[in-house]
Amino acid sequence: MKVERGSTATWFASSSLSVLLLVTAAVLLLLLRNGLAPFWPADIVEFEVRSAPGATTVLGTITDEDAQAIIVDSGDALNTNGRYQRIALASIASRSTPADAYVAIGSDGSLRYDRAGRDGAALDAADITAVSTSYSNRLGAGEKLVVAVRQFARFVSTGPSAGGVLPALIGTVILVLLMSVVVMPIGIAAAIWLSEYAGNRGRARWVRAALTSLAGVPTIVYGVLGLGLLVHALGGAVDQLWFAQRLPAPTFGSGGLLWAALTLALLTLPVVVVSIENGLAGVPRRLRDGAMALGATRSEVLWKVLLPAAGPALLTALILAIARAAGAVAPLMLVGVVKLAPSLPIDGEFPYLHPSRQFMHLGFSVYDQALASGDAFDGVARAWSCALLLLLMVGLLNSSAILLRRRLDSRQRSLELVATA
Amino acid sequence: MTTTAPLLDPSDIALQSSALSLWFGARQVIDNVSVSIPKGRVTAIIGPSGSGKSSLLRCFNRLNDDIDGHRMQGKITLDGIDVHGPDLPVHELRRRVGMVFQRPNPFPMSIGDNVAFGLRLLGIGKGSERDGRVESALKSVGLWAEVGDQLDAPAMRLSLGQQQRLVLARAIAVEPEVLLMDEPSSALDPLSTLRFEELVHGLAGQITIVLVTHNIQQAARVSDYTAYLHGGRLVEFDRSDDLFSQPSERQTEDYLTGRYA
Repeated sequence: MKVERGSTATWFASSSLSVLLLVTAAVLLLLLRNGLAPFWPADIVEFEVRSAPGATTVLGTITDEDAQAIIVDSGDALNTNGRYQRIALASIASRSTPADAYVAIGSDGSLRYDRAGRDGAALDAADITAVSTSYSNRLGAGEKLVVAVRQFARFVSTGPSAGGVLPALIGTVILVLLMSVVVMPIGIAAAIWLSEYAGNRGRARWVRAALTSLAGVPTIVYGVLGLGLLVHALGGAVDQLWFAQRLPAPTFGSGGLLWAALTLALLTLPVVVVSIENGLAGVPRRLRDGAMALGATRSEVLWKVLLPAAGPALLTALILAIARAAGAVAPLMLVGVVKLAPSLPIDGEFPYLHPSRQFMHLGFSVYDQALASGDAFDGVARAWSCALLLLLMVGLLNSSAILLRRRLDSRQRSLELVATA
Repeated sequence: MTTTAPLLDPSDIALQSSALSLWFGARQVIDNVSVSIPKGRVTAIIGPSGSGKSSLLRCFNRLNDDIDGHRMQGKITLDGIDVHGPDLPVHELRRRVGMVFQRPNPFPMSIGDNVAFGLRLLGIGKGSERDGRVESALKSVGLWAEVGDQLDAPAMRLSLGQQQRLVLARAIAVEPEVLLMDEPSSALDPLSTLRFEELVHGLAGQITIVLVTHNIQQAARVSDYTAYLHGGRLVEFDRSDDLFSQPSERQTEDYLTGRYA
């Protein structure tokens, strides 16, 4: 199609492009705003409420408000009415932001709002140790930023008992790495067979058709496959053979890191094989000829010329695999992801990596926090933060792969120049 | 046969094809070609597109072997030894018969690694000895002065003309007896072409060179002998001086004078 300046096609193309960019920007901004908002210290407001027996005061941050009422997050401790209090606008006698109001965050992640002017002993009575206390109303923007960064750091560096998501973050990273370690060698081998030895007849045609179909299988189907084939059949057999003394308690016979990684490897294999095969096919014929003419055997051509030249394609395959694996949560729920894992899949105990252990995952945390959390307001806020973290993690993994690819590319940049000369 | 091959003493023949025919699938690309390539000389193979020049050239180092549907009849000998025989394994053949291609094809690695590639493959030389051979190969193509101090730089950064001289150095490094060149200057600018032709001239004497070209002037400039191929058949083979001044075949004359359609 030839697109001319000022034509309808140009207009259409450019407008759809701008819509695309706008939507992307909107999603990113929304994720950043909602994901980071929980860490920003909000004003602590004190309401005086007219109630039947007299007046009461409520201290906390505003979670939500509409035309009739305000919902105040008044913290966990010392609260008989529950954490969130709905205050009808009509019953509010006064509202203020006292300078001596502070929020104390306990080591278990709980919040307590109080005023320094009052009896400070209440803090100790709650039987929690405050790990940080901030007088939010007094803070300037810079100080608030410091508090927010500290809160965020706490969120990513502590376990669930302290309100953080570190185990989920570690679980996700380990899972993706293990998946890559499994899928890359298999993918490379399959791609080599397809592009170098299989030609385009008989078996190779079937393998290609199978790969294309596999790429279109819904991810949850892989979950069922992993559960039936890997966890129950293979895991059960492994238990019978090597862990019989622990039966009936399953070792590998229940969902765990290894099976989840293998399931994801299966899921990402088609895209890995196809992109590596394309990469190998994209290596100019004359490089192959050049190596052959110097006396290289077929496998020497492959290992010394083709694979190094296809290096960027290997990294592209890895990037695609990571992106697809990080986005697949549904199958993981069947093969080993749990809401709360008693221990990390990696620790200081031999053999350091524990592939049979159940693990936590950021993607699952998003779902779990948003829908299955006991605290809807807090849960949704945390779901946003988990989603943002997941995106950051994928972004970080991908950009390191892209950086590596760019270094490889710079070695071969003029390859393309020659090809078009 | 309508060839007027110059009489050669058998010891002066580097490469020889006898009654060579080649098919790719059902298509015959070479038809009963018998030609003797004289040792230490430059032999040009000319002819119109599709006349089988490149296919003939690639028979000499068995580079056609991997092509699907390839079938060959006849015999090719290097120094009297059958290139398909058990006495000459294919990697040994390709060490003795090097090749330079149409487009410069340096590998995506450093300049030094490119030149050492063949040496490493064939397990020739170690450490400093290999470095010495890399240096002398680069010197013989005039690249040492230009890139001798940046052997670690990527080969892809070189200009096209330098790249073509680099792959020539890569081929020379394993000390072949014969060098096949498949339109080696077709991707080069006129100045680089001239430079390359001078190199070819300089190499002749030590190395037998078979040069496929569609550039008649180039064939006349650099070659001692010339073969004219047409439709897969060898029409004429003679000393270049004779062939270009007094072609004995009508077909050759038509091609040389541009009457070929």
